[in-house]
Amino acid sequence: MAFKKDSFVGTMIFTVTLCLLCSFMITGTAELLKERKLVKKRDELKRNVLIAADVDIADKDFRAIFDKNVKPTLVTLDTGEEDTEANVLDFDERMASINPETSRKPKKDTAKIKSRADQARVFKVFDDNGKLASVVVPIYGKGLWSMIYGYIAVQPDFNTIENVVFYEHGETPGIGDFLNDPDWTGKWHGKQIYNAKGKVSFKVVKGGAKADDVNGVDAVSGATMTGRGVQRSVQFWFGAEGFEMFFNKLKASEG
Amino acid sequence: MSTQTASTRDILTSPIFNNNPVAMQVLGVCSALAVSNSMQTALVMTLAVTFVLVFSNLIISSIRSLIPNSVRIIAQMTIIASLVIIVDMVLQDIAYELSRQLSVFVGLIITNCIIMGRAEAFAMKNPPHLAVVDAVGNAMGYGVILLGVAFVRELLGSGTLFGHEILKTVENGGWYLANEMFKLPPSAFFLIGLMIWSINVIQRKRG
Repeated sequence: MAFKKDSFVGTMIFTVTLCLLCSFMITGTAELLKERKLVKKRDELKRNVLIAADVDIADKDFRAIFDKNVKPTLVTLDTGEEDTEANVLDFDERMASINPETSRKPKKDTAKIKSRADQARVFKVFDDNGKLASVVVPIYGKGLWSMIYGYIAVQPDFNTIENVVFYEHGETPGIGDFLNDPDWTGKWHGKQIYNAKGKVSFKVVKGGAKADDVNGVDAVSGATMTGRGVQRSVQFWFGAEGFEMFFNKLKASEG
Repeated sequence: MSTQTASTRDILTSPIFNNNPVAMQVLGVCSALAVSNSMQTALVMTLAVTFVLVFSNLIISSIRSLIPNSVRIIAQMTIIASLVIIVDMVLQDIAYELSRQLSVFVGLIITNCIIMGRAEAFAMKNPPHLAVVDAVGNAMGYGVILLGVAFVRELLGSGTLFGHEILKTVENGGWYLANEMFKLPPSAFFLIGLMIWSINVIQRKRG
């Protein structure tokens, strides 16, 4: 029987076959590129962590530096316990934070993240003598339009900021771009997250932080909500439902 | 239709100048405005469009006798969209930074009228080898305009070509004061307009 292309059956057969073939083409390509994508994702992670930790990686092999000086661990946030055995590099934070089995609703959702993963990746960065130089933790929270994702590094007192990097955001182009500006993130260096009473008091200050303000960095005019989002995500992630337990535990273990 | 009797050579060369898809048919202008501020993005965009156009024309032309008339546009779109997704994935893999600069415009190749236009107007009516020649010709026509505009925009807007410094700008201690207007999309309007005008004038002189 000849194939009648314009009949109802012919049209159905054609469309179904075409759709199947096209989807095979796409999944095939995706499958071929999967392994390389994973490597890329890891490289991106390594680079961001090292930048956050203020390690000089210009013209150097950042992968080697990462493998030598950085110890990744998986932290259970509510207890502060570490799991160094897990495959930390390929841990999917985003999936973990939306999967109801591995996440929960925060009691005080200051960062507006809706659900928080039970575990989070933490990167301990050591200097060449094997001394702890900084701890890099991931933070994220809602800005004006989008989730802002970043890494922030604190010095071994778990209070003083070493550096910060924001690697993904969808804030207003041209206005929210300061998140990626090293001139702005550089201002975070040396600022403190907690005040003397141990409360999170890091702030993004509108009108500019005073020179002696150890907790404040300058806000950028026109980007009030973006700045507020960043401030709130720092408040959340360094608070009781963030990494506070983990920091307390580390402090205690160091005496 | 004249194209059906035209020689292979005409099919290849006419879309580059005489019947240029951007300049004469004013198709695909949106992407031409957006990605023509540097030579590098323009070149990558041209390559992406070439790939999609060649393969969409080839596939559609090879199965043209099987495509039911009632769903032919949707069938063409499906093939084009699949090809664009593949290009996007490959581009993200081999040139991540560039693919970020091109952002949505790679995805928007799907809606680039040149590709739909060639599929419907040519590939549906001609055998595969001619369809591929036609695709290469049209892609080159698109590329010529894109690279031409990008050449002027990058040179006058940043004093560079492919990122290499040609005119030393004042900021870097040279003499050339970069014309910021050329970095913005409206300048491409003027440049494409000038190109359309000059092509028209030349063609009219030829008669």
